[in-house]
Amino acid sequence: MEVDREDGRSQNQLRPLACSRNILHRAHGSASWSQDTKVLAAVYGPKAGTKKNENPEKACIEVIWKPKTGQIGKPEKEYEMILKRTLESVCILTVNPNTTTSIIVQVVNDDGALLPSAINAACMALVDAGIPMKHLAVAVCCCVAKSGYVILDPTKLEEQKMKAFAYLVFPNSVHSVLPEGSLRVEGEPIENGIITSVTHGIMSVDDYFYCLERGRAASVKLSDFLRRNLQQQSTDSSKAG
Amino acid sequence: MDARLANTWRLTLNEKNFIKTALLSEIRIDGRKPFEFRNISINFGREDGSAEVQLGQTRVMGIVTAKFVQPYRDRPNEGTLAIYPEFSPMADPSFEAGRSGESAVELGRIIDRGLRESRAVDTESLCIVAGKLVWAIRIDILILDNGGNLVDAANIAALAALMTFRRPECSLGGEDGQEVIIHPPEMRDPLPLIVHHLPIAITFGFFIDENVVVIDPILNEEAVMAGRMIATVNANGDICAIQKAGEGVSQRVIIQCLQLAITKAADITKQIKAAVEAYNSERALQKIKRETTCVGNNVKGDQNQTLDNKGISELVGKYMERLKLISVESYASQNINAEETKSLRRGTDSNCIKFNSTPLSWDPYSKCVDLEFLKASVASQGLSTASEEKEATGKEKGSEAESAGPYEDVNSKWSAVDASTTEMHVIGPKTLKDAVKPKNKRKKKASSMI
Repeated sequence: MEVDREDGRSQNQLRPLACSRNILHRAHGSASWSQDTKVLAAVYGPKAGTKKNENPEKACIEVIWKPKTGQIGKPEKEYEMILKRTLESVCILTVNPNTTTSIIVQVVNDDGALLPSAINAACMALVDAGIPMKHLAVAVCCCVAKSGYVILDPTKLEEQKMKAFAYLVFPNSVHSVLPEGSLRVEGEPIENGIITSVTHGIMSVDDYFYCLERGRAASVKLSDFLRRNLQQQSTDSSKAG
Repeated sequence: MDARLANTWRLTLNEKNFIKTALLSEIRIDGRKPFEFRNISINFGREDGSAEVQLGQTRVMGIVTAKFVQPYRDRPNEGTLAIYPEFSPMADPSFEAGRSGESAVELGRIIDRGLRESRAVDTESLCIVAGKLVWAIRIDILILDNGGNLVDAANIAALAALMTFRRPECSLGGEDGQEVIIHPPEMRDPLPLIVHHLPIAITFGFFIDENVVVIDPILNEEAVMAGRMIATVNANGDICAIQKAGEGVSQRVIIQCLQLAITKAADITKQIKAAVEAYNSERALQKIKRETTCVGNNVKGDQNQTLDNKGISELVGKYMERLKLISVESYASQNINAEETKSLRRGTDSNCIKFNSTPLSWDPYSKCVDLEFLKASVASQGLSTASEEKEATGKEKGSEAESAGPYEDVNSKWSAVDASTTEMHVIGPKTLKDAVKPKNKRKKKASSMI
């Protein structure tokens, strides 16, 4: 079913992606991610000590979300919590116990799919800072319209008009030198798992599974993009201090 | 408590002595002369009123927004201007989230005095209904990277954002003539603010030896300096504000600094104006593209204050801009991109050069695609013609199985082609070619004259 999207994309088309690493000088790691929505992420860490209620046997992750303008309110706190949980499951927390890694996310332009862009930017920034991670988290946003079709990467208008939308975060696809079977979890490859899923609005179970399927396909493309990008820049000299 | 001490950054005694001794022989640790400013690069965001300034390693973003408020009782026919500085913890590990320290407050006050109290922005034109409704302009200053001298960079960011900000046009109407109608940007062009002059802040650093004065100190110098003076002047030679703290300095030095500040302010004013000019011309160009291709479609004349520019044609324009960006960047080859990240650290000229080549590079660090990938995808996908570009993407990507390929795949062929001329022809509608013709004719005339 061909769908008429305002900017002329088809259902399964993402907006042009652009990302770059190492843009800030003071931060230990930084990255910017833009697909019309632009997000800047910076990482400081590991710093000494954990926060009050955190487990000192493990590393702790702290997320600070900065909106473009205005006060920090409940939606920002929610984003911080989702980001924190997602990144906690991606980072290897046992390597640096009793430390805190701070991730600061700054929204530069919000045009739909804000949380997925932030997650992607945060992952890139963590890689730039050299924080040990199991794998990357790749996030996409899927929208379900009233007539049941699913579109990927909505703009802000589309998000508001649609019946429901879901932010989905998958692990990235793995290229490994280890034999095929060893990386599977319960018989399935790692990339079939879901790290985080946040939905808004009402959708049927079938719609949700349809979203997952689409999201997974998109995440493969995104992980390729990320891999290419990271490999290219890995030849740059490391930052001192 | 221990954690905070452990995480603070301190300069060692050796480093401090080195900086001081070097300054006695007029050598600065980043190679500049004492009265030399770092390179300034100004980039604008997608929306009006958003500017990002890079001053060496310091990075500041200024965002201007406007809304309706009731005016102050003692100034019933003037709009208001408010500055909100935010020292993001991203910029420096010592900046705390939430609570802003005294330096943030000081920065806000200095820029406030320079902009508002010197009446750089015309507030009377912001009045809609005297005594009842005025525009309140809010300037958010986000410090993204602290490389020293935040005040100057923040000031430039605020000015650049103010000059490119557009507020929606509104008129009085309704039954009793008291209702305010806000016109969406598609109906009526949003209006720029009236800026009378540009107050530029210049920071001077004083050291123990009276003869040692530096301009535009970097982070390490700021940790060593004994006193500092921030002079907000404009290109006409007016002093808008002066803020001095620290060691006492003789009058002679102050006068010298002020004179120097005025010359520097003239340079920076020119730079800001050039950047804003380039942005405005790009914006006008995009508007032309939007209007010519909008002829066939029905322009939604809804009064909802959507303020969005998501018309197909506008996006086509934007994607063409992006293509231009891609083509210029990948044309310039990988080397420049690799150098760019290095040069950001060194703060050399390449930033400025890059800025000049792609005026509306709102994402100066975008690395959309690399050349090999483009060639590979061109080979695998075959060529599609210019006008069928949109349909081609629809057909190829419409299939269930494959899905989510980014735009870059199909637009790849444009990377290898020269940016400026073909960009115009690519879009397709004949009216655009007509708009381009005079340019080409001018070119031909110029070449024939030569």
